[in-house]
Amino acid sequence: MEKSIKKYFPIFALPTFLAFIIGFIVPFAYGIFLSFCKFTTVTDWQWVGFKNYTRIFYVNGQLDTTFLHSIWYTCLFTAVTVMVINVIAFAIALLLTKGIKGTNLFRTVFFLPNLIGGIVLSYVWLMIFNAILQKYDMTIVTTQWTAFWGLVAVVCWQQIGYMMIIYIAGLQTISPDLIEAAKIDGANSFQMLSKITLPLMMPTITICTFLTLTNGFKLFDQNLALTGGNPGKMSQLLALNIYDTMYGTTGWQGVGQAKAVIFFIMVALIAVLQNKMTTSKEVEN
Amino acid sequence: MKKKLLSALLSVAMLSALLTGCGDAAATDSTAPAAEAPAASDDAEAAAATGEGSVYLLNFKPEIDDQWQALAATYTEQTGVPVTVLTAADGQYSTTLQSEMAKSDAPTIFNIGSATDAQTWDAYTYDLADSALYNHLSDKSLAVEYNGKVAAVANCYECYGIIYNKTILADYCTVDGAVISSVDDIKDFDTLKAVCEDINGRVDEINDALGTHLTEAFASSGLDDGSSWRFSGHLAGLALYYEFLDDKADLTAGEGKITGKYLDNFKNVWDLYTNNSAASKATLTSGTYNAEMELGMGEAVFYQNGDWEYSAFNNPDNGYEVTGDDIAMMPIYFGVDDASEGLAVGTENHWAVNSQASEENIQATLAFLEWVITSDEGRSAITNDMGLSAPFDTFTGDFAPNNKLAACANEYAAAGKTSVAWSFNATPNVDDWRADVVAGLVEYTCNGGDWSAVETAFVDGWANQWALAHEE
Repeated sequence: MEKSIKKYFPIFALPTFLAFIIGFIVPFAYGIFLSFCKFTTVTDWQWVGFKNYTRIFYVNGQLDTTFLHSIWYTCLFTAVTVMVINVIAFAIALLLTKGIKGTNLFRTVFFLPNLIGGIVLSYVWLMIFNAILQKYDMTIVTTQWTAFWGLVAVVCWQQIGYMMIIYIAGLQTISPDLIEAAKIDGANSFQMLSKITLPLMMPTITICTFLTLTNGFKLFDQNLALTGGNPGKMSQLLALNIYDTMYGTTGWQGVGQAKAVIFFIMVALIAVLQNKMTTSKEVEN
Repeated sequence: MKKKLLSALLSVAMLSALLTGCGDAAATDSTAPAAEAPAASDDAEAAAATGEGSVYLLNFKPEIDDQWQALAATYTEQTGVPVTVLTAADGQYSTTLQSEMAKSDAPTIFNIGSATDAQTWDAYTYDLADSALYNHLSDKSLAVEYNGKVAAVANCYECYGIIYNKTILADYCTVDGAVISSVDDIKDFDTLKAVCEDINGRVDEINDALGTHLTEAFASSGLDDGSSWRFSGHLAGLALYYEFLDDKADLTAGEGKITGKYLDNFKNVWDLYTNNSAASKATLTSGTYNAEMELGMGEAVFYQNGDWEYSAFNNPDNGYEVTGDDIAMMPIYFGVDDASEGLAVGTENHWAVNSQASEENIQATLAFLEWVITSDEGRSAITNDMGLSAPFDTFTGDFAPNNKLAACANEYAAAGKTSVAWSFNATPNVDDWRADVVAGLVEYTCNGGDWSAVETAFVDGWANQWALAHEE
């Protein structure tokens, strides 16, 4: 059996592999190629070498800081959301595995925001924020920081429920025997959390931090609908900045593509690093 | 064992899904005799056989999508030439156009907004110089010429200025201490300013006297993305217009360097708008203001916008108190040459024909466009159903534009005023430049900053974006 599986492996893998090539490898390679071209439509290109890449930072003989600004703004945004989402989601998951009354209802309610699309969600929040801020003669896009915290609030509200579900699933895999043994040994609840629960939860934490990290970097819908990059371009996260370059500036499709390549490399590096870091802390159950 | 069977099953399922996915396109034509599909493909085949080609219009104005679909169906019924109309979502035109153009069945008619667009799509614009469309164009300056060819032809012209509630304004003239005795007295910026300040300053007194429920003179000047173009585009257009006029530059193609010499006038008008409005300056970016509604519900007297607003006010479904008969439009008196300034007339809607389409499709497209502007069905659809003012010499009599705000433009022109050209059409990298100007306006208006932010964005930003947009 083992042998025949090996033998037919290519045939079984072929369809998926083909789909992967058509749906991922080819567009990806073509995208990298296009970042070295000037193009209007993707089939009509002209090779320009590294010009697109230099243009990201250096325009008309001046340093252009919009992309750099959106890089650090995005990094900060991701750092804050990863922390907030994971800490709160973990805390709620702990609470909702304690067997309090109405656990299922709470789980459903916390998960619900995740079912609403980002654009709709952000428009609803936009109204809420502006209605409140109006009292203080401000709007969500008064400064880049109001925009920042607005985005953080919406994204956390949306993603906490989802991460909570993953954490709950993780918590339920911890064997009750271990907990009981620790209790008998006289561990207090803080010791139980830091010595038993957290180490055993590392695989789940790896997944959740990875998801929130990449979600943070790739955030687009909420950014577009909630702030639209305003004021100026100060609240543009990377994805929106790339989109804006692609469609907003005449003849800059290639530059947008080049930004996207840099964006990919950055996110890939950070995600690999994060994965290494958290997996190294994982323990055998 | 069970696991392996499962994975084998999954692979088979995936394979079959993949195969059906790939086979789908081929299957529709050859193996579905009973479905509706063959009817359409027969049409296409018949058309191709007789060399008629097909037409694909990528429509720019979402509000008239239904009307275009109906008109396209009528044409197909009469001639058998298939006409596809696709409408891009509001604000998504360039995105949609870019992806549609890369397809093998690319649009044969698409919209060009300005000379900048013509530059972007230079390789795709067909020279319309010999077309019936261009021949019928009554004002040849409404065509976009680029790279030695007529790249696109306007399909409607529009005007903008200050829309005002003439009923309330006429009543205001009867109030004690009114600054003017008739609406016609407003002939320059200073008078307009005096009237606005008077109305806004004693709005309660005026409400008591007239039984109105005004809250402000000027409707809110929102700086959110849904409204800021009225100022970074249209209002800024006047500053550009007078500067181009002084420099004897082409009024809609512009020049590479501007000095912003009329920015003070821009600031005066902008201050007039924001100081005489009930909207709090700091919250203009919120997007919660609806200026159209403020005028429509009789809360404001003045509102800077264009004649496309006419249908909104004239449509009883919107529930506005104000009707099409209550409103008129005056020029945005800019304080430069108010005595001879008319409304700003121009367009961002130009038809371009895709030069990379097949020859039959190009011919079919030109024939379709000619039919649209010469046949009764086409002319009626444009004037009556879509409510557009078409710039062609075929639109006379029953088909003359019936938009009362557009009629104001003609009245001012007839009275010897010079229509202001849409100079903002020359803006290089429109979205970027405007975003920076809006950022400056926000800084100045909402955050109490300095006007110099606007100046920098306006002047330096222009030179910068121009260099970018016009290189090579």
